[in-house]
Amino acid sequence: MKAQSDNRPGALSRRQLLRGLGAFVALPALESLGGGRLLAAGSSPASIATTATGAPLRSAFFFFPNGAIPATWWPEAKGAEFELSRTLQPLSPVRNLVQVVGGLNQKSAEGGPDGAGDHARGNATFLTGVRLNKSATDIRAGVSIDQAIARKIGNQTRFPSLELSCDPARKTGACDSGYSCAYQFNISWSSPTTPMAAESNPRLAFERLFGAGAPGERAANLKRRREEQRSILDFVMDDARSMERRLDSADRQKLDQYLTGVREVESRIEAAERFGESPDPEVETPEGIPSDYAEYVGVMFDLLVMAFQTDSTRVASFLLAHDGSNRSFDHIGITEGHHDLSHHQNRKDWIDKLADIDRWYVAQFSRFLQRMHELRDIDGHTLLENSMFVYGSGNADSNRHTHDNLPILLAGGGGGTLQGGRHVKHGSKPMTNLFLSIAERMGVDDLERFGDSDAPLSDI
Amino acid sequence: MIRGLNSNLRRLGSLTTLALGLISPTLVFAESPVIAEDRFEEQILPILEDHCFACHGLGASKGGVAFDKFEPAEARVQDQLLWLAVLKNVRAGVMPPADKPRLAPDELSKLEQWIKYEAFGIDPDHLDPGRVVIRRLNRVEYRNTIRDLLNVDFDAPSEFPSDDSGHGFDNIGEVLTISPLLLEKYLDAARSIINDAVPKTSGAPATERIAGSRFRPANSEPASKDVGRRPLALPYKDAARVAATYHAPHDGRYRLKLDLVASERYVDGVFDLNRCRTIFRIDDKEVYRQEFSRQENKRFQPSFEVDWKSGEHHLSLEVEPLTPDLEPVRSLTLRLDGVNVIGPLEREHWVRPEGYLRFFPEETPKDPTGRREAARLILERFATRAFRLPVDSVTLGRLVDLSEKIADAPGGTFEIGVGEAMTAILASPRFLFREEGYLDEPDARYPKIDEYSLASRLSYFLWSTTPDDELYQLAAEGRLRQNQESQVRRMLADPRASSLTHQFVGQWLQARDIEGVPINAFAVATRDEPPDPDAEQRRQRFRELRQKEPGELTEAEKAEFEEIRKRFTGSRQRFQDLELTGELRRAMRQETELLFEHILREDRSLLELLDTNYTFLNERLAKYYGISGVEGPAMRRVELAPDSPRGGVLTQGTYLAVTSNPDRTSPVKRGLFILENLLGTPPPPPPPDIPALEDSEKRRDGKFPTLRESLAIHRQMPACASCHDRMDPLGLAFENFNALGRWREQERGGPIDASGTLITGESFSSVKELKRILVTERRGDFYRCLTEKLLTYALGRGLDANDVQTVDDLVERLEREGGRASVLLSGILESDLFQRRRRPEPAPAAVSINTHPNQFAEPSGPAKESQP
Repeated sequence: MKAQSDNRPGALSRRQLLRGLGAFVALPALESLGGGRLLAAGSSPASIATTATGAPLRSAFFFFPNGAIPATWWPEAKGAEFELSRTLQPLSPVRNLVQVVGGLNQKSAEGGPDGAGDHARGNATFLTGVRLNKSATDIRAGVSIDQAIARKIGNQTRFPSLELSCDPARKTGACDSGYSCAYQFNISWSSPTTPMAAESNPRLAFERLFGAGAPGERAANLKRRREEQRSILDFVMDDARSMERRLDSADRQKLDQYLTGVREVESRIEAAERFGESPDPEVETPEGIPSDYAEYVGVMFDLLVMAFQTDSTRVASFLLAHDGSNRSFDHIGITEGHHDLSHHQNRKDWIDKLADIDRWYVAQFSRFLQRMHELRDIDGHTLLENSMFVYGSGNADSNRHTHDNLPILLAGGGGGTLQGGRHVKHGSKPMTNLFLSIAERMGVDDLERFGDSDAPLSDI
Repeated sequence: MIRGLNSNLRRLGSLTTLALGLISPTLVFAESPVIAEDRFEEQILPILEDHCFACHGLGASKGGVAFDKFEPAEARVQDQLLWLAVLKNVRAGVMPPADKPRLAPDELSKLEQWIKYEAFGIDPDHLDPGRVVIRRLNRVEYRNTIRDLLNVDFDAPSEFPSDDSGHGFDNIGEVLTISPLLLEKYLDAARSIINDAVPKTSGAPATERIAGSRFRPANSEPASKDVGRRPLALPYKDAARVAATYHAPHDGRYRLKLDLVASERYVDGVFDLNRCRTIFRIDDKEVYRQEFSRQENKRFQPSFEVDWKSGEHHLSLEVEPLTPDLEPVRSLTLRLDGVNVIGPLEREHWVRPEGYLRFFPEETPKDPTGRREAARLILERFATRAFRLPVDSVTLGRLVDLSEKIADAPGGTFEIGVGEAMTAILASPRFLFREEGYLDEPDARYPKIDEYSLASRLSYFLWSTTPDDELYQLAAEGRLRQNQESQVRRMLADPRASSLTHQFVGQWLQARDIEGVPINAFAVATRDEPPDPDAEQRRQRFRELRQKEPGELTEAEKAEFEEIRKRFTGSRQRFQDLELTGELRRAMRQETELLFEHILREDRSLLELLDTNYTFLNERLAKYYGISGVEGPAMRRVELAPDSPRGGVLTQGTYLAVTSNPDRTSPVKRGLFILENLLGTPPPPPPPDIPALEDSEKRRDGKFPTLRESLAIHRQMPACASCHDRMDPLGLAFENFNALGRWREQERGGPIDASGTLITGESFSSVKELKRILVTERRGDFYRCLTEKLLTYALGRGLDANDVQTVDDLVERLEREGGRASVLLSGILESDLFQRRRRPEPAPAAVSINTHPNQFAEPSGPAKESQP
């Protein structure tokens, strides 16, 4: 937290949290932070969310809005000898740990009989791979891949999963073409009817992970908070059950969500006790939501780095902005709204601006990857080498609302199971095939099919 | 509003089969389909053949609708979705098209009657109140309810994730879900709220806070009354000494807690190494000396104990700059929020903690039985109000047990125990959800909701909060329904009624969005001037340079970057006054809300929402609009000049900005807004594959086309015209108002043409004339649309075919009684939809939990939606 650390060269020193993180990283042994203890406990089968070398294996799913301009996204050559395209240029420091994945589709996001609504579908189909029920109120999607993985491996860490978003503000009025807004703002779903609301406030996300208060006080605060939660759980559980008996089926579904939440808190308390004292990053708690979007995105990525580094969770999702987002990017000289631009009518100046925005998002993701690559895991590899990150959008060409050949990156070494540094064209396959492959590596051994998948994706 | 009907028209053909499979309960009471079909053949078919078959029959199926293509033929009369769309389009004059003959009045009436009573099978004597899914408090309701229960302001909008909305409102039961994250937040919120509100002991040392604003520069006048409550900001760079005095009431030991924040303004990529020294003195004796560098908004709260005699004591804080030669970059500032003085600490001076009597009005008994009884009384009172209905004895027993257990634990007190039980109450689903009971009326097809539920429906609709004492008391006595009218009058006169405006208007007219809508004043204002290709080129160059990491730039590029940045700053300053500041945005939102509230409270015609000769402004907003003679920050009613184009929500900053793109107006969005939110006849959504407007934005004859010209090119394509002919003329009428809501005469150097012809045939030459058309010819559409919106908000559910009767009745009354606001409001409150509910359907024995993650949901259309 000393002043001079701010003057280190490079983009990574720019933000408050990262400076703190610098100090945090300097801590002598990562094992003291939880990751090592877990392994020492030896309670879990080695195959679950663990690399061959015994380190935690992590997966996360990142969503950026409104597709990407294909011409500037896709590299020309394929295989290992490709050159990064204009949009993907910011990935060059981590190029060898990134795959550019071509040929993946989300057929369920296509209009078909449901007609318009490609942004809602692009968003909620992205990680679920199911066709959404087109309705403003009767919400039915599917379980998303991060949640399917969390169900299986969630008990390995203090948090089964982490959901983050940098898009907290909702517009009023109806959302996309008769779809409920729930579809357009949620990529993670724990059941077809329960979107996993994401945490969008950096302070709250941090406090939930590590506890409130100053460094050193947090573990105790977190422990007290758990005890306080537990004190009233019995009462509310009984109360919910007695209420449920009086209700009819649609109402019961709501109570069911409540009860699921209560059970989840219970099992989290139980997990916390198993894992002992929670880690405490020696950094200041971040403030609320920064007004500057770049800073906001950066802080959220930093939080995710910390969550992975402390092995607080091994699966996460992060919505950078919802599909259809109309944010303007004044800080890179683009005053028009992103979505307005995306229907670019083939105007060159608009297409250029869109490519700039695509690239900006990639640059933020790349900084995160670089950060993950600077940090050592307990097996001596970097955190990035022991991770699998999917970065992509639910629309391919947003001008035409297509869902074929989505812009997808697969980053990380997957604990030695992914062959990065390549541009792979998979022909035309369901995106969900990729999810199957990731789930498999994460130790989900009983998932034969996910959404419209037909087989795990090979050659990744 | 009735579930995106028009949007479904296109797909009707393919949905017919789906609609068939759904059996509407209302059909049970209708005549048999066969009879309905007979009457259809006899009365309705001839009308359709005359007016509709040219496009929707005999082989034609425009928009996917053909009235003679049903298999089996009886399916036709059962297709509620189809008939709802027919009803809506014919009534709104959208069909038959403007250039074709209209239906004769008796034909229209015959069609309406047949659709309502036969196709929908509505039984006017037993209106189905529909299915309202149990409603969870949304964030606003939660915050207000906590405020009224406990006098605590809990910032739910920041602490809880956003509520999802449906049909444009965030109080729709079906859509309000609880994720595990939210549940966890509910548990923590309950805890923190009770911590703030409920004292933990019966006595404690008195605490007084000396606000930072009471500190004045030493040797200057003491703080006058108008200083306000702002904390005191002391820049690191300025030597300063500020002081305040405190009057100690008694001799004794006191604890003083300083409340300092080392704040800064974030500047990307640049750092600030300034430092300062701070000294705090009590009665001129130094007790604290600290050096501050940049501290990232950290809070410092050192505390000190002193023995004081009663009387005046002096506190002072000194700031001494340590780096006078360094450039200030981040405006490092020491903020003195205040000093807490706690004491005297001696027990004999202890006082009742703040708010103690609110929760513990009686002296707490010493004996265990007495204490248990006391806890029971307190908790019964609180649970009853929190649950909004009497609490049963079993629950109460469990609450008392919980409080006793905590009180008896080490460190526990009676108060802590009671607080624990209160925490449980706030975390309970009975607090978070609004369960609705009904009266025992065995003969009623749809029973009335009970009085407690009525109290909650009234208060959450009109106040967005829990019923107050009077409502609750009346409900408990079973007298609320009979006194509803006077209670509603009382409620509307109460300040809490502004929630209705804030929530309903905030969402219906999207006034809420003005606070965050990104509008770039510089870009907008530039567009109102002749185009400047050089500036555009500079912008492009800026973007190119901005793409590179700072380290990659050559010296020449850096210099160029700086140069462009400077020119930007220069030209930006020219438009600085146009920036939509928070203050302006709030004023705009209030303008819209005040108009609605005024109409509601004065019981004026709802048509004034669209066309009036007055509005609500303060000085800042009036100047922004170019209206003179308004002074001061308070919003007040302002009469508009006879030739003013303003008046009504459509010429307010909220509508004009919220429907704009960040850099320009969007006539399409403006037109769509009117169709969706004011006339209730939205066009179908745009096709997935929007054709490129190859030529529309290209220069022609050396100049950029105006928006009107671009859109005209767009409408030349038949696929676009069918909808844009409806949206564009409406939106283009407002082109004299730019994206900031300011009046302009030119766009891109060319004059503005605001004239147009509506799809329904009416022509206008200006905004004023369009507004006249809306409140005369299209008045019925507006009444209907507003009725549907307010009804949706009041009921917390989407409307369907069964609700057409209620809406029709309300629209008719509005027509009869000059559109008075009270007619609509009381009509909704007295309607069966608001007063009654369906009996619960028997629930299945076991609650099914989705176990398979990947069910491929059936591709289903919106047909299901129109079913209850």
